[in-house]
Amino acid sequence: MTIRLDMTMSVDGYVVGPDDSVDAPMGEGGFRLFNWLDRRNDPGPSGQVVGESMATRAVISGRRTFEHAGQWNGDHHDGVPIFILTHEVPSEPPPGSARYVTDARDAAAQARAAAGDADVLAMGAGAARALLRVGELDEMELHVVPVLLGRGRPLFDDLPRVDLELVRRLTTGDEVEPAQRVMHLRYRVRR
Amino acid sequence: MGEVVLYMSMSVDGFIAGPDDSPEHGLGVGGELLHGWLADGGVDPASHRPADDAGAAVFDEVLATGAVVTGRRTFEFAGGWAGDHHNGVPIFVLTRAAPPEPPPGSARYVTDIASGVAEAKAAAGDRDVLLHGAATAQECLRAGLLDALQLTVVPVLLGRGRRLFADLPHVELELVGAVDGPDVQHLRYRVEG
Repeated sequence: MTIRLDMTMSVDGYVVGPDDSVDAPMGEGGFRLFNWLDRRNDPGPSGQVVGESMATRAVISGRRTFEHAGQWNGDHHDGVPIFILTHEVPSEPPPGSARYVTDARDAAAQARAAAGDADVLAMGAGAARALLRVGELDEMELHVVPVLLGRGRPLFDDLPRVDLELVRRLTTGDEVEPAQRVMHLRYRVRR
Repeated sequence: MGEVVLYMSMSVDGFIAGPDDSPEHGLGVGGELLHGWLADGGVDPASHRPADDAGAAVFDEVLATGAVVTGRRTFEFAGGWAGDHHNGVPIFVLTRAAPPEPPPGSARYVTDIASGVAEAKAAAGDRDVLLHGAATAQECLRAGLLDALQLTVVPVLLGRGRRLFADLPHVELELVGAVDGPDVQHLRYRVEG
């Protein structure tokens, strides 16, 4: 029912480091953002939030995120439907449970219907902005990594004003080594 | 020796002012929201002390600092704090070119960030140095002069405006404090290295 954005960003708001390309999808130094995922199978805040993401029953992703992730070989998790937002639908169909959608409202409606009572996982800066612009994003789970990447691809840019409410803050403890520490902030989008 | 600490309020999308900021409208369109955790007050910063404990604690830290380093833009948008940010502590105003007219009160112009921060630290002694303003924060981060960031994060996407962070080197941080106020988070990061 809830469409929840799931994104990792630096304190300065970047989701990818500078000079990203097909060969370097996370840009220079950008993989620093994913160190916290080394704890995804452990008990604790990071394991909890990843578990919640994997309990969703549909995925909405931007095309860029989809391509850079190797299209997840057609299965993000448990074979749930994946709706790929794209400006232009390629002639080749996407693999597995993925399908292309050109309209953010349409993608949201299809994903909600597919997920039933469960939540929808939204990924990628492009998908985030598209869903925010049409008022279809319900929540955001932001994994804020304690680093300034300095330059790169910002998560949020050129949006209308959106009021939020913090509904949860989970922070890794001292038992987690510094490189894997992260703060998980869950915001509800106010309407 | 005290630390050099940046104190700023920012939106979840990293803005410290909305679009179209100007001397008459320092926080830009919609930007007042970022200072909503502060009490309404006047030119004197001390008049803005918040009523809640979390906000008041951050605020009191600001007023316990022994010197201020700020950018020219922030200084002028704030009316120069009438020459006294708090308790008459020295205010170092970073500018590219110092105007012929001296600034009011305990303020003085500096054109070099490193020597300005060094002077501020010497003046503050055991107390911390308050750093304020996005451009000055960026200069300090580039020069490795910042010890900590105290960010009050306001739950809004402003969408457009003036960013706190831009075009910086890679800087590792450590989250050393996180306190919830009414509808804002006060986060303190230590700069590593």
